[in-house]
Amino acid sequence: MTTSALKRGPTPVRLALAAAGMVVGGGLGWAIGRLVKHGGLDLSGAGWSDLAAGTIAAMLLATGLMVGLASFNARIAGRMMDPASDRPARPAQTVFYRQQGVVMALAGVMLAAPVAARLLWAPLPAALAQAVMAGIVALFLLQTLLNLTVWMRADEMMRRMIAESGSVCFWVLQGALFLWAAAEKLDLAPALSAWDLMTILMGVYLVVSSVLSVRRGFS
Amino acid sequence: MKNRLKVLRAERDWSQADLADRLEVSRQTINALETGKYDPSLPLAFKIARLFGQPIEAIFDDGEA
Repeated sequence: MTTSALKRGPTPVRLALAAAGMVVGGGLGWAIGRLVKHGGLDLSGAGWSDLAAGTIAAMLLATGLMVGLASFNARIAGRMMDPASDRPARPAQTVFYRQQGVVMALAGVMLAAPVAARLLWAPLPAALAQAVMAGIVALFLLQTLLNLTVWMRADEMMRRMIAESGSVCFWVLQGALFLWAAAEKLDLAPALSAWDLMTILMGVYLVVSSVLSVRRGFS
Repeated sequence: MKNRLKVLRAERDWSQADLADRLEVSRQTINALETGKYDPSLPLAFKIARLFGQPIEAIFDDGEA
């Protein structure tokens, strides 16, 4: 396989993945729409950051599930990792790929849990809030462990992309945070909650890491 | 940074995946190296030089020489 093979444009695998993504995303959107329409989910109390976090969570969950399921088939995993190659993924690669899928799916669940709990139970009983929080902490510890494993097993370019994404996010967001905080202090901007800030951080990180990945040839 | 990785690889009839296996990196890393989208760390540059049996400066060119 050569570089020119990578420049041929959309491969059938890429198109199939895009189609699968549209089907999963469309299905998820339809299901949520049905829930809202029939009163199963009341979004009237949800703020912009709840909706944004829910959207990001759904994307992470869908992608994580897709990657995780694909990792159980060496040939499909090989094509997803490298659409230009028809070599099946090796066992170590499928495990690595599965770990990345689980990390994404866990991030989606953790992001969705507080929003879902508030939307499904209003008012939220304290005991239930504590139970949800305990679950989130447990998932967070598990995800941190998996993230460290992914970092240790990644090659140097992937590590550099992760580190660069973190650096870019820090410099962009600390500047934005300072300007917003100054404006807020001067009563020129509304106050933001910790959840608002976390949602912005997640969104910016996903955009930055995606851009850096594409620039390095991942797509 | 320019490099001769693609040429050296082609001389040995290796695919990007073959070279990736030998260097224990991903195929995407090899592609990024060959297309100049990524500069390797010093340890990886040494590994590449040893694999091809050539000095680093014979493979990589920073344009300063």
